[in-house]
Amino acid sequence: MNLLRLVSASLLLAMLAACATPSRYPPPQRMPPPSDSSGAPAPWPASGESRPDAEPGAGSVAPEPEPEGPPPPRTVAEASGPAVVALLGQADTKAREGQPEQAAAYVERAVAVEPRNPFIFQRLAALRLDQGEPEQAEAMARKSNSLAGDNPYVRAGNWKLIAEARQMRGDAAGAAEARSRSQVYLSQTRGR
Amino acid sequence: MPRKKKKKPLYRRLLPYLLVLACALLAVGAVYTVFLDFQVRERFEGARWTLPAKVYAQPIELYVGQSISRHRLTDSLERQGYRQLANTPRPGSFSRQGSSVNIHSRAFTFWDGAQAAERFRVSFNGDRISGMRSLDRETDIPLQRLEPMLIGSIYPTQGEDRILVKLGDVPPMLPAGLIIVEDRQFMEHHGVSPKGILRAAIANAKAGRVVQGGSTITQQLVKNFYLNNDQTLVRKGKEAIMAILLDAHYAKENILEAYLNEVYLGQDGGRAIHGFGLGSYFYFRKPLEELQPEELALLVGMVKGPSYYNPRRFPDRARKRRNLVLEMFRDAGFLNDAETTRAQNEPLGVSRGSSRSTTQYPAFIDLVKKQLKGHYRDSDLTEEGLRVFTTLDPFVQETLEEQVSSGVEQLERRGDVEKKSLQAAAVVTSIENGRVLGLVGGRDASYAGFNRALDAQRQIGSLMKPVVYLTALEDPSKYSLVTPVDDSPLQVRQPNGDIWEPENYDHRSHGTHVPLYQALVHSYNLATSRLALEVGLPRVVENLKALGYPGEPMAVPSLALGAVEMSPLEVAQIYNTLAGGGYQTPLLAIQAVTTREGEPLSRYSLKTRRAVNEQSVYLLNWAMRRVVREGTARSAYSRLPSQLNLAGKTGTSNDLRDSWFAGYSGDAVAVVWVGRDDNKPGKLAGASGALPLWSGIMAEIGPRSFDPPRPEGLEVRELLLGDDRFRGSRGPNSVGGRDCSRAVKVPFVEDYVPDGLIDCSEQEERGAYDESVTSPEERRDEDDSNWLRDLFR
Repeated sequence: MNLLRLVSASLLLAMLAACATPSRYPPPQRMPPPSDSSGAPAPWPASGESRPDAEPGAGSVAPEPEPEGPPPPRTVAEASGPAVVALLGQADTKAREGQPEQAAAYVERAVAVEPRNPFIFQRLAALRLDQGEPEQAEAMARKSNSLAGDNPYVRAGNWKLIAEARQMRGDAAGAAEARSRSQVYLSQTRGR
Repeated sequence: MPRKKKKKPLYRRLLPYLLVLACALLAVGAVYTVFLDFQVRERFEGARWTLPAKVYAQPIELYVGQSISRHRLTDSLERQGYRQLANTPRPGSFSRQGSSVNIHSRAFTFWDGAQAAERFRVSFNGDRISGMRSLDRETDIPLQRLEPMLIGSIYPTQGEDRILVKLGDVPPMLPAGLIIVEDRQFMEHHGVSPKGILRAAIANAKAGRVVQGGSTITQQLVKNFYLNNDQTLVRKGKEAIMAILLDAHYAKENILEAYLNEVYLGQDGGRAIHGFGLGSYFYFRKPLEELQPEELALLVGMVKGPSYYNPRRFPDRARKRRNLVLEMFRDAGFLNDAETTRAQNEPLGVSRGSSRSTTQYPAFIDLVKKQLKGHYRDSDLTEEGLRVFTTLDPFVQETLEEQVSSGVEQLERRGDVEKKSLQAAAVVTSIENGRVLGLVGGRDASYAGFNRALDAQRQIGSLMKPVVYLTALEDPSKYSLVTPVDDSPLQVRQPNGDIWEPENYDHRSHGTHVPLYQALVHSYNLATSRLALEVGLPRVVENLKALGYPGEPMAVPSLALGAVEMSPLEVAQIYNTLAGGGYQTPLLAIQAVTTREGEPLSRYSLKTRRAVNEQSVYLLNWAMRRVVREGTARSAYSRLPSQLNLAGKTGTSNDLRDSWFAGYSGDAVAVVWVGRDDNKPGKLAGASGALPLWSGIMAEIGPRSFDPPRPEGLEVRELLLGDDRFRGSRGPNSVGGRDCSRAVKVPFVEDYVPDGLIDCSEQEERGAYDESVTSPEERRDEDDSNWLRDLFR
């Protein structure tokens, strides 16, 4: 008896049959979007809702060559291991494709790899700003500052983001203050 | 003359009635058959099963530079059912090669998209990953995510659980083997098998008891699917009719596929394990596609009696049955002699787990359910087959379970602690992204009962103190780490007229000039109470809430000493904020939820909030590190390497009812509670009960050192603290007769550095210094404040 072969052959048919018949299980209804309180999950945004990704300032600062001592890292690439660089690269791609939440998820994976890397939180801040969430953007930028140590590059970028976040909230005075702080750090980077 | 009426025979007289009756019966039968037919089709074509949500652990992320030992990696792989096979021929296998490990990962649909199976090599340098390389593409890879481990389901209290499989995806030996073992005529018969019934009847008659059932696979499916378990003739008849109908309507393949998913394979507490898809995970922790002949044979053999052949409870019985099935496989030509012998000699290979309940990590699943509540209806969770991606780290979780259960047993070996009286709960979170990595709700983690980590509300005792000191340090014009605080006896008249009179743990005062940090490091009640009253209880309450406590504690003086009840998880939230430099990240147990097909429904994203001032948290953490270095928690270093910096606080409630320790490394917060459910004294202080468990947990999970980055606006002074200044006074770093090699860097808020501090970093002579006061030993019993004066010029 060659039952094994018989059954194997009939499997192919079964597979085809399964493809042909419509699914017997209706997809579950889309859940109502959860409330917006903190800690609640964000509803999955439809793709294409977001603006194109705007890079935070820190990476674009072009400082002069370091005169002496180990210079603080200026960019993500200088500050991070290959895993984080790869994840943030994928996050950039998702952000460009208009999928900021997917992008944020990549950045969060990077947080798990290097939890004290200020550049990663800066990237989260930039993403939240793109998503129109100035409160989270500012909180993430300040979190990044709290991890930045003496790195003026990170701080300059963060204060620039904070300025934008405050502008978005309509806090012009706060934005101006943040912008001037950003300038102070920026001048420190030039001094190096 | 009336003709004698010739009487017709009885049967002729009854014939019309019989005919009518027969017609009626036939009609009823026909109607009934139509009714059954409707039932058969409706159930088979509708949604056949409700599917409990599937819960996954956090996937293992491997990356270059990661600190993980080779041993821990292969342990994790084995936990997920990976087999060690040379050349890693298929997904779910790995091999060791020198100091590297080759892995063939499984394909998996994550919430952020599908990921293909991947063959790659992980090279190690000591306990660190030094490189990763794809074996298929011959390129270096920076990181690789493994598929997450399935840890459980969300099912109603009593209910069926299953993972659906398609006939085309299962190893062909499974359906073929089922036919061989359960119903040889399956491909030929029409739903019922007279031959089979006859054979069974003969076998039963020979044996004098029921040894063989004549049921076809179709009948078994009908029985499970449509009927109850009564052993009546009527039900048998109904079963036969329905089997014939089912066979008439549907292809054999469809019936077989339904059978694969319907069949009952065991019990897990209130959860009934159905179908081979779940059976494979339940018994072997791996997908059905990867099962080997002996594993398939075990499951096929269990169909006959899942409880009788339960391999966890009756391994010998199960092995005999499996080996018999393997012989049937051989006779059917699936295996040759050598393969059969090899398979028969394999161990059962069943994953560990008690026979009572093998639901993994019930306490954590509890938390997941809580966090899902409000976002999803119960029926969504138990019926729609949603996929829930959680934050659980199986390695951390299992470490937690082992350490808690062995730790509690060890505590009970002490003479004065009643045996089996203690309970415990523990939580581990990752600091910067606020993930709950592990959670244990009792000393027996497999028991899905009262979840103390979430639901026990216990007095936190001195765990409250850091909030008091944080509140003080927020005002640098009044308080620095070395500001003298008063630890002399204290009486407070409360609004209701009662006198509140706190006492120190050692029932004595430590003087009127204890440096602020010392009062925390040694957990002085008097100094802390006075400090709390000075800064104002409402501000302390405000900070407690800012750190993440959701309740509304009473602003009474005893709050300063922990007269507030919390669950271990609530404590973890507060300490996670402290560990995170004052940024509160809501603790999450879930990362994302998708539909059964993988369509994303919601993502629980990382959020943060600046809860308190970074500078004051930094100062507090400086003191919290000293709690572990030299204070009430110093015994932690008997388990942990001394170069590692850790921070934390012991907590003991009145009469030793609750023993707490909450503390953190550079990447994880762990909170441990030990006490009794009846709230009688457990006779353990924080340092003697919870701390050894905490140290064990931390030592096992391999923490990073806690060295928080210094915020702006702080400056550091190098001071000689305590008795250190008496040692080696002629050293090269000697300043004013002191050995500055023992100087400690103490942070201060800029512009608020106390005047006149003697800073060791300033190498000039500070003038005469009287070092002839008393020996350190004599001083220990004295007022702690004596040396404080010596900090200053």
